[in-house]
Amino acid sequence: MSNSLTLAPAPRSDAAEQVRAEVREFLAAELAAGTFRTHVDTWLSGVDPEFSRKLGERGWLGMTWPKKYGGHERTAMERYAVTEELLAAGAPVAAHWIADRQSGPNLLRYGTEKQREEILPRIARGECYFVIGMSEPDSGSDLASIRTKATRNESGDWVVNGAKVWTSNAHESHYGIVLVRTSPADPASRHAGLSQLLIDLSLPGITVNPIRILDGGHHFNEVVFEDVVVPGDMLLGTEGDGWHQVTAELAFERSGPERFLSTYPLLAEFGRRVADTGDSAQLVALGRLSARALALRQMSLRIAAALDRGELPNIPAALVKDVGTTFEADVIDEVRRVVDVTPSLDSPDPLARALAEAQLHQPGFTLRGGTNEILRGIVARGLGLR
Amino acid sequence: MASDQDLVVETVRDILTGFEPFVLTAERRWDSGLWSALADAGLTGVGLPESAGGSGGELADAVAIVRTLAAGSAAVPVAEQLLVAGPAVIAAGLPLPPVEEPLTFAVADAVTASPAGEAFTLSGTASDVPWAGAARHAALLLPGPALALVDLSGVAAGAAFNLAGEPRGSLALDGVPALVQPLTEGQASELRAGYALARSVQLAAALERVLDWTVQYAGERHQFGRPLGKFQAIQMELAEMAGEVVAVTAVVDAAVQALAHDSADVVLAAAAAKVRAGAAVEVVARLAHQVHGAIGFTQEHKLHHLTRRLWSWRDEAGSELVWSKVLAKGLLADGGDGLWPALTRVV
Repeated sequence: MSNSLTLAPAPRSDAAEQVRAEVREFLAAELAAGTFRTHVDTWLSGVDPEFSRKLGERGWLGMTWPKKYGGHERTAMERYAVTEELLAAGAPVAAHWIADRQSGPNLLRYGTEKQREEILPRIARGECYFVIGMSEPDSGSDLASIRTKATRNESGDWVVNGAKVWTSNAHESHYGIVLVRTSPADPASRHAGLSQLLIDLSLPGITVNPIRILDGGHHFNEVVFEDVVVPGDMLLGTEGDGWHQVTAELAFERSGPERFLSTYPLLAEFGRRVADTGDSAQLVALGRLSARALALRQMSLRIAAALDRGELPNIPAALVKDVGTTFEADVIDEVRRVVDVTPSLDSPDPLARALAEAQLHQPGFTLRGGTNEILRGIVARGLGLR
Repeated sequence: MASDQDLVVETVRDILTGFEPFVLTAERRWDSGLWSALADAGLTGVGLPESAGGSGGELADAVAIVRTLAAGSAAVPVAEQLLVAGPAVIAAGLPLPPVEEPLTFAVADAVTASPAGEAFTLSGTASDVPWAGAARHAALLLPGPALALVDLSGVAAGAAFNLAGEPRGSLALDGVPALVQPLTEGQASELRAGYALARSVQLAAALERVLDWTVQYAGERHQFGRPLGKFQAIQMELAEMAGEVVAVTAVVDAAVQALAHDSADVVLAAAAAKVRAGAAVEVVARLAHQVHGAIGFTQEHKLHHLTRRLWSWRDEAGSELVWSKVLAKGLLADGGDGLWPALTRVV
C-alpha cells in the first residue's frame, strides 16, 4: 500500500500511561464532587472555564510546547493520553479545546515572538480560548473560495470585512485565527492571495450572532467583521501563505482522538447496559464496536507518534478522521438495533439521554473539520489517484 | 518503510516468483513444490527455537513470512506451522516434528484420547482440518483440554474445501496413536486466540494486496476516455477500502505485539484483530470486485485468489460472531464501568 497512508506502530509510552492514571484519578474525583456531568460530544458543547483552568493548573494544556511559553515539553503521546481520558469521561473541555489543539501549535509555528510570549502562557493556564475562522456562508468545503477580505490602510493596519460561520464558541472566546483574502482572487491560482490574521474578538466592528444546532444548543456562531481594524503586526506567518498554513493546521485539527470518541460516553452507557443484561446480541454489537474502537486507537496513536517524530501526517490524519467519524455515527445505529430504548434528553435513563445527545449531534461528526467526501479525496490523492 | 524483516520478506518474494498461484482442486490441493522450496530455504522453522528443532528468529520474522505468503495466495500450511501448531507443540513440551514436514492445527472438539502404554490412542473424527490430506502432522486441541500431536501418515482425509479450494477436510482418527499433553483452560484459550491471530495476519496481508491490485487496476482500465481512478465515485470507494485496510493493519500489528510480549490480554487483542479483519472483508472484497468489473468475476483474473481466501479466512478460527462475544465479555470482566480501562489496556 502507498507509503503516504501508512505510519509506523506507536511505541508504548510509560510516561503516557503514568499521566493517564493521574488524569483518571482527577476525573473520578471531579465526577464524585459533582463538578461536571458526563455528556456526549463535549469538545463542542462542554464549555466550562473553571474546569479548563483546573486542567491548566495540572499542566495538561499546552503539554508539548516549550516551557518558556508556559508549556510542559511533554510528548504528543502523553498529550494523547490526557485528551483521550477527558473525552472518554465526557468532560467539559470545549472552552480551551481549539486553542490547545491547533491555535497554540499554529502560533508556535508562525506567530511572532511577542504573540507567543503574550498568548501561549494564557492558553496553557486554561484562560484564553480561540476560534477557527475558516468556513464562510458561501464557502464550506471549498475553502479557497472565501471572500472575507483584509486590506492595508495608510497606517499599515488591516481592515477586515466579511463573515465566518460555524465558529464554535466564538461568544466565549478571546481570539480567532481567521483566513482572509489579502489579494484579489486569481482563477489561475486559487490558493494564492490568502493569509491568516490573529484577531482579538473584542475589537470594534465584530458582531457574534448565535446559530443554534439541532438540540437547541448554542455553540456555533456567525462572526461578522465590519471595517474591523486589526493591528498590522497581527498577520500570522507570511502574507499570501495562508493556504499552506491552514493545511499544516489541519494535521492537528484532524488527527486527535476526538475524531472517534465524540460518542464514547454513549458506548460507555451501552457497556453498562450489556454488563447488566448479558444479552447475546448486545454482546456481539459491543464486541464489534469495541474492535473498531481498538483499531482506531492504534491508528490515532500512530499519528501522535508521528507528531513526536516531527512529521505532519496530513494524509493519514484525513484517513483516520474519515474512519473515526463514521464510527462515531455508527455507534448510535448499532446500539439502537440491539437495545429497545427511546432516545430522550429528559429521560432518567442515562442510555436514553446519551443516545438522544448523540443522535442530535451526529450530523456534525462527518462534516466538521472537512467533510468525509473531502477527506476521501485526500486519501485518494495519497493512493496516487489524483 | 525499512524494517528488520526486509531480508526475510525479500527471500520469500524471490521464492514466490517461481510459483504462480493456481486454482486448487481435489486432485491438486496444495503447492508441494513451493513448500519444498520454502523448507529448503529454512523458512518453515522460522520463529521456532533452534533448541526445539526450529530455525530460530523472532515472532516478527514468522509473521512477515506468513504475511508475504498470504498476499501471494500461497497454498502451503505455513501460518498453521509457524504461528499456531509449532509454538503449541513446543509450549506443551512435545517433540516438534521435522520442520520440513508440514504440521497443521485444528480444534478437534469431537476427538478424545485414551492412554495406551506410554502414548495415547485417539477416537473420533476431526473436522474442518486445514490442509487435511497435505499436512504430514497435526496438532489438535482436544476437549479436556489437551494438545495431541498426531502423525497423519496413513490417516484418510475427507474431501472438503473452503471457498478458495484450500483443504478443510476431516480426519478419521479412531485407533490412531498420538502424543498428548493436558492443557489448562487458559492455555487452550490462548491457543484458539493464536489460531485466530494467524488468520488475522493472513487477512491483513490479503486485504492490503487486494487494495493495491484495485488501485492499480483503476489506474490502468480506461472507460469514457479516462482511467477509472479519475472518477470521483471510484475514488470514494478506493478511499473507503484504504480506511478499512489501515484499520486492520493497525489492530493486527498491535495484537502481534501483544503476543510477542506475552501480554495477559493476548486473547482479547487477538479477538479484536479477528473481528476487525473479518468486518473489513465485507467492504474490501465487495468494492474490489465492483471496481474490477466483470473480469474480476472470472478465474482468468487473479483477483479471486485473494477474495475467495478473504471470504474463507474470516470464518475460520472463529468468525466475528464468535470473537465479538469473547471480546465483549472480556472487556466487561470488571463490570460495566470497566470498559474504558479495558479498552486502553488490551492493545
